[in-house]
Amino acid sequence: MPSIKQHAYLFDATRCIDCRACMIACSVENKVPINDTYIWVTGSGVMGEYPNLKRATMPYHCMHCLAPDCVSACPVGAWYKREDGPVLYDADKCIGCRYCMNACPFSVPHFDWDKGLLGGALMHKCTMCQQRLEIGQEPACVQTCPTGALKFGEREELIAEAHARIEAHPDRYIDHVYGEIENGGTSYLILSHVPFRELGLPEIGPVPVKNVSEAAMSMTIPFALGWGAVLTGVAAGVQWNNKRRAEVKSQTTASIDGEPGGEQ
Amino acid sequence: MKMHVAVHPRVFRFRPALLPTVLVGLMGIGFVVAVIRFVAGIGAISNLSNTYPWGFWISFDIYAGIAISSGAFLLAAVVYVFDLREFRPLLMPSILTALIGYFMEVLALMVDLGRPERIFNMLFFQNYTSHMLVVGLCVMIYLAILSVEFAPVMLKRLKKERLAQFSRRLMRPAVILGLVVSTIHQGSLGSLLLIQSAKLHPLWWTPLLPVMFFVSSISIGLAMIIFESSMSSRYLQRGLEAHLLEKLARAVPVALGVYLALKFSQLILSGNLRYVFGSGVQSALFWAEIIVGVAIPVVLFSSQRNRRNPRLLLIGAIILLVGMILNRFNVSWFGIQRLENLPYFPSLMEVSISAAIFSFGLLVFGLAARYLPLFEDAEVTTAAR
Repeated sequence: MPSIKQHAYLFDATRCIDCRACMIACSVENKVPINDTYIWVTGSGVMGEYPNLKRATMPYHCMHCLAPDCVSACPVGAWYKREDGPVLYDADKCIGCRYCMNACPFSVPHFDWDKGLLGGALMHKCTMCQQRLEIGQEPACVQTCPTGALKFGEREELIAEAHARIEAHPDRYIDHVYGEIENGGTSYLILSHVPFRELGLPEIGPVPVKNVSEAAMSMTIPFALGWGAVLTGVAAGVQWNNKRRAEVKSQTTASIDGEPGGEQ
Repeated sequence: MKMHVAVHPRVFRFRPALLPTVLVGLMGIGFVVAVIRFVAGIGAISNLSNTYPWGFWISFDIYAGIAISSGAFLLAAVVYVFDLREFRPLLMPSILTALIGYFMEVLALMVDLGRPERIFNMLFFQNYTSHMLVVGLCVMIYLAILSVEFAPVMLKRLKKERLAQFSRRLMRPAVILGLVVSTIHQGSLGSLLLIQSAKLHPLWWTPLLPVMFFVSSISIGLAMIIFESSMSSRYLQRGLEAHLLEKLARAVPVALGVYLALKFSQLILSGNLRYVFGSGVQSALFWAEIIVGVAIPVVLFSSQRNRRNPRLLLIGAIILLVGMILNRFNVSWFGIQRLENLPYFPSLMEVSISAAIFSFGLLVFGLAARYLPLFEDAEVTTAAR
């Protein structure tokens, strides 16, 4: 799909049947054990009172933010955002500090808790199946989904489609496309019939959480220079003052005693 | 005023031989646990998980550990920037505490990092939007600076008088650079949490986090100097610089007052004051930290009679440290909201790593106090008086 400018997923919770075929597909495609796939299923459990029961589930994976906080947080720049959408990882740089796990408001990156020095513990998360993108295929989870709950394509088009679905069935959906503005916009867009928090999604504003952090960061060097100058100035001032005082003192002593004064 | 009892380093004697034995034992246990970690992974020895990527090690070894190392930059500023030479007897022990403290942090990181062998990647691949990079570089630079600051003591012990003389001349520039670096380091531990605005409870998250961290580190540093001097005088049979500690204690209510004013005006202005009641455990933790870390020490250290009582001085310092360490635990652990409501409690093996590192630090300090001219400035000032 080389024509696509900004790859994105659209997930429709009303169509998800919790079959977990996406997890199997992810496990096979990315060669990761099934309990370690880049997808985990979150859900509301059974809601409501009989006979009006509801249950919603969602395959949770990297949101591929437009302004990713992991990329901002990583000290060695192991995370990077590719222009066409996916947030990717350079395993050779990673030092395993796990700051990205804290920085990510969706708590997406996962860590190799069972690997020692020789095993080489690293971070893992959804790559948008970049190896498949390169040969013009959709991510494995999307291709596998039997109900069409997952769709892949151009972000702008998917947002338009999501709104069209809401408009067509306003009774069925909550009138919001999660990910359209959350955290500055994400490339995983979600439609739901239950409140998004029931799907395990955090409430996040439209401003990327990294913004305050980066603003503080940009002050570090100016602050260091200014603070250094202030401290040097104070130290020099105090020394000069003390020296002068000592001189005045020794002069007074000298004039009284008639001989040069002692030490400071 | 209590006079100095200058005791020559040679006659130092650890009263109980039990303590070093226990410390070495704890270090041994920690070593074995660390070997398990390096073979089988962090998950094999800790309760850390994808929900709790950071836990006890970060809160105790890093957040609390760095906070209590702040005595060094405070005294360095007092002695070398403000030229208050009477405080010199306290300086070298504090620098040593920080040097050991920062080294302990490195040890903890070696266990806590997924790829400790790549730590120097921070020098080759740098992401200039990352506060973690700042933290890492500050540790490296400040360790180097502390080594320079401590060099005169080492060189004197090695009888390299010329070099010692030379290293003393490096003191003032080193101290000023060290002040800049440690200010940034204390603050950047707060900045690390800025990006967790969606996770950290609003009682603690504020854009002012780095400022709060730096301001609180001042009172922590003062308490730590009092604590450490009192303990040294108790267990290493040295004189207590009671008059100096009394002066330092005078600054505690001021430093804490500024902190408290900042904390509450920030809560009021951000509209988050409503969380101080009714947020369950978070509110309770908030008040615990304010009462123990700020209110009680302010009251205690405001009275001169209390400050002149070495026992109360020590007790006050301990109370302040407990409260402020709780603050560091709150911001880096208890105050972080998780999507999944899983409980986390550190495993025994996790704690044993920290215990081993702490024992190592204590033992090194004890040995240094015994074999290095650490307290010699004290004799100089006593003689000069």
